[in-house]
Amino acid sequence: MSKELTNAIVGMDEAEAMRLVDEMLDAGADPADVLEEAKAAMTVLGEKFECEEAFIPELIMGGEIMKGIADELKPHITGGSTAQKRGTVVLGTVAGDIHDIGKDVVVLMLDVNGYDVHDLGIDVPVEQFVEAVKELKPQVVGLSGLLTLAFDSMKATIDGIAAAGLRDQVKVMIGGSPVDEQVCAYTGADGWGRDAAAAVRMVAEWTGSAA
Amino acid sequence: MTAAPEELYAERERRFNDAVALKGTDVIPVMPLTVHNFPTRLKGISNKVAGYDHEARWQATKEATLRFGWNFAPTNDVLASDFFASFGSKQMMWAGEEGGLADDAPHQWVEDEYVKADELEEFIADPNGFTFTRIFPRMGSRLEGLGQVPLPPLYWFSNAYYLQVLGNMLGIPPVREALRAFLDMADAQAKTNAANARYLQEMKDLGYPPTWAAAIMPAFDVCSDTLRSLRGSTLDMFRQPDTLLKAIDVMQEATLGLVHAAFAVTGVPRQFIPMHKGAAGFMSNEQYARFYWPTFKALIEECIAAGITPVPLFEGDYTPRLEFLAELPPGKVAAHFDRVDRKKFKEVCGDVLCFWGNVPASLLVTGTPQQVKDDVKELIDLFGETGLIIDGPGTIPDQAKPENVEALAEAVEEYGRR
Repeated sequence: MSKELTNAIVGMDEAEAMRLVDEMLDAGADPADVLEEAKAAMTVLGEKFECEEAFIPELIMGGEIMKGIADELKPHITGGSTAQKRGTVVLGTVAGDIHDIGKDVVVLMLDVNGYDVHDLGIDVPVEQFVEAVKELKPQVVGLSGLLTLAFDSMKATIDGIAAAGLRDQVKVMIGGSPVDEQVCAYTGADGWGRDAAAAVRMVAEWTGSAA
Repeated sequence: MTAAPEELYAERERRFNDAVALKGTDVIPVMPLTVHNFPTRLKGISNKVAGYDHEARWQATKEATLRFGWNFAPTNDVLASDFFASFGSKQMMWAGEEGGLADDAPHQWVEDEYVKADELEEFIADPNGFTFTRIFPRMGSRLEGLGQVPLPPLYWFSNAYYLQVLGNMLGIPPVREALRAFLDMADAQAKTNAANARYLQEMKDLGYPPTWAAAIMPAFDVCSDTLRSLRGSTLDMFRQPDTLLKAIDVMQEATLGLVHAAFAVTGVPRQFIPMHKGAAGFMSNEQYARFYWPTFKALIEECIAAGITPVPLFEGDYTPRLEFLAELPPGKVAAHFDRVDRKKFKEVCGDVLCFWGNVPASLLVTGTPQQVKDDVKELIDLFGETGLIIDGPGTIPDQAKPENVEALAEAVEEYGRR
């Protein structure tokens, strides 16, 4: 399969990407293969993000182009995705904090990297994280926050998971602009990061799915 | 003998101005750029109460300023909850049932596409009419009636006879509700302003200048944070870049106008400029150069030309933008940093910008006084001889330990006197 579609998406050429999708469908390509090629572009964008050749705008725009392609392909794809997920991650912005930009970028990047991502949203109470760990049995829990009140909410969430006897079953990563090593130690998290690339690295390591 | 308040006032301003001019100071100033709920929480006042009790909020700020040895009277940037309640704000949330957040939460902004992608040209063509009839109704539930005003150009009503038509428009019940909301806004603002004025006068009587009086965002942040949202402005960068640039130009005119309007009202010669979307990660340097930098630089230059010291708060990590910032006029800008590579800053901008900041929130909230002092010492060693003002990352975090905040001034006593 050509790399034209991947290149169009990585180059942020939305019109060309949509034209190529139509062309491939008209030529009888398997829609599932077309979708896989589009997804490969997001992986390339993720790699570029990691080495600071792409930034949040490219991830958002890439995600938008992907969404357009997936919407177009959906009627042509029969049956669910058979792709094996690389691991399960539960994510949310912690109690008291309603900021979602950082969390959303992490969700997007984990998703395109093949993880089963459960986004609990914003201002997520401790109990909801605990319930999600019980029910979904993720390998990794991600706690996001921009405000300094999030330090205590992150700590309370990790303590809550421990109190439910689940701490040994999950790795916990925390993220957000004010988060650093000091906050990581304070909250009892297993790792911390300030961007989606760091999150993907931690999850890959912890799920044993590093490329 | 104790110095007279006016002498202390002049001395504190001189210290600030000397730091900005990169001349070094006899005592390095400790100055929170803003405080939020830290002073009221120290007194056991909940964030919910602090948002409505303006007197308590400003008095707590006064007590904190005296207790912690701050150089200026900081601005308490907790927004007046009753003001936002007065028009049923949908963009701002605050502590308490009315504001939709827990009693202990700080106020928080709801970023959304208040102007849709396909409306941006319409906004550019008629920013006044669009704001009044489309954005105002989206900002507050009590302003929704304004969406029903088929607002023609105002000169259509330039005589008493035609004014009857306007009377008819204003008489519709939802429009009456919006007009009442405007009056309630004015009443709420007058209350918080009165408490603020009392604080400023009391602080002046004690010899403390105000840190700043009005916050004005660069045009890109106005477009991204408040009109289009990050997602919206990002998609515009790719799908309609020229339209986005035109909208930025429209907001730039308003931004520069606001600088002069604010200075005329407050007389405070320091302009706070909070920033968000120009930080590392939010865009490439190429995108920054095209969409952010030109209007930001012009805003800084406009302040300086008017005799106002610009006080930009570079929120997030600004290390990748230091080469841009080195182009700003030397010795004129009090540049407040949240996160930046300090050594690289010294190398690239050390002879251009005064460094204000930036003891991390993590240390102030979870660290020890000694860790805070060590961090302040590092700042003093790097910038103490030229231009340095000590602060947290942009505010004193609400959850900071008081002993860690005390350590800021203690560190200056130990290391920051010449």
